[in-house]
Amino acid sequence: MRALIPTAVEQQAVPRDIGLFEWLFDADTWTGPTGILTSLWDTVVMCTAVTIVATLVAVPAAAVMAHLRKGEVSTTWAVSISRAIPTFAIAALLIPWSLRRGWGFEPWPIFIALLLLALVPIYLTTYNAIRQVPQESIDAARALGYRESAVPGAVEFALAASVILTGVRVAAIQVVATEPIRAFLGGDGLGRYVRDGFGQNNNTLVLGGIILIGGLAALTGLAFVLLERLALPNGVRRLGRQQGENT
Amino acid sequence: MIAEARNPIIRWEWVVDEWDQIRAAITEHLTLTVLAMLLGIVVSAVLAAVALRFRWTMTPITATTSLIYTLPSVALFALLAPVFGNLALTTAVIPLAGYTLLILVTNTVAGFQAVPKSVRDAADGMGLTPTRRVLSVELPLAMPYIMTGVRIATVSTVGLVTVAAIIGQGGLGRLIFNGLSRAFWTPMTVGAGLSIILALTLDAILLGIAALVTPWTRRKAAT
Repeated sequence: MRALIPTAVEQQAVPRDIGLFEWLFDADTWTGPTGILTSLWDTVVMCTAVTIVATLVAVPAAAVMAHLRKGEVSTTWAVSISRAIPTFAIAALLIPWSLRRGWGFEPWPIFIALLLLALVPIYLTTYNAIRQVPQESIDAARALGYRESAVPGAVEFALAASVILTGVRVAAIQVVATEPIRAFLGGDGLGRYVRDGFGQNNNTLVLGGIILIGGLAALTGLAFVLLERLALPNGVRRLGRQQGENT
Repeated sequence: MIAEARNPIIRWEWVVDEWDQIRAAITEHLTLTVLAMLLGIVVSAVLAAVALRFRWTMTPITATTSLIYTLPSVALFALLAPVFGNLALTTAVIPLAGYTLLILVTNTVAGFQAVPKSVRDAADGMGLTPTRRVLSVELPLAMPYIMTGVRIATVSTVGLVTVAAIIGQGGLGRLIFNGLSRAFWTPMTVGAGLSIILALTLDAILLGIAALVTPWTRRKAAT
């Protein structure tokens, strides 16, 4: 399939007989406006923005709903659609709307579609994690003189933090894995090598793109493991593992 | 680029004129979804059986299916394109089936694990052979879980089929690409809209089938 929409910078034709490692280790592959560094930056910025916004929206919303013991129905409903958000169709439907407002093919349609994809797992994990905080812990905090207003943040959220972070990780990996369709919707990012590889009928380029995308998804998972080690106290992490085993 | 005045979000004459093309896209979309689901169900049944029989395989099976699930869809379709050729059905069906495995295996295993031990003992006590016990006691009781898995997997497959358009397949996804490449919105809206409608319709049908195969769940609240 050819490149669909004229992108800002067309990929230079890559020789078809080039070896995969020859391509990956060529300095020209990495630099310049179509280079891996630029594409990687594009993808990382988009995925980070989506994950941060989704976290900022979903975690407080789920925390409040779980604290109030409300929204059980919405959770069940969300389970069935969580795996089913048709990111590609949603982004496509948003493109005419975005163009009419003069916002172009990018980045809003794909941003919103990815945001919807990320919201669901984060909301669900947060909700369930907070609901699983033992009632005794909350009562103990009250007995120790915590104000009622401090319960959601200092007790429920703190004890659920590890599991919540797992939800964010799942969402982030899904976003990274889905973001490459952006290259087929008028954008760039790491998906461009797969798209241009098809366009130039060059399997090396396609394979290189796959390795880069897969590598980034794997690195995202690792980054969250590190983040959890750095950000959470040992006790909370242990509690998270116990909760994880119970679910 | 088509003039803006002639390029509304949807132009109904186009839908009427191009109905054959749209119908062909729906058929292809359905074919890919059904084939992927059938393959996914067969493979996940085997995996779930292995995981239930040999408990130690549970972790590697879950890990592998999770890994497949997180593989970027664009990459997985692209990866198989040079192997089976761009237009081969296999190129699209194998990744699509792969993505269903995590949901199907997880739900099937959960379903069988939810069968109370007392029920299994009762079946044994009544003299059922292990095969009969699994097929006529445990399987029906696990059915609500399995059907939930099938529903989620089907809906998500319908959405993923559109992405298969990057390898020249993908039914309604091809309409989306067609519209995009010409900046002509009607095919895009039709493709995206119909793929969402198709997902909801299949979900409703499967919900009906689930109710039919588990008539007892209608009396007490379904899980």
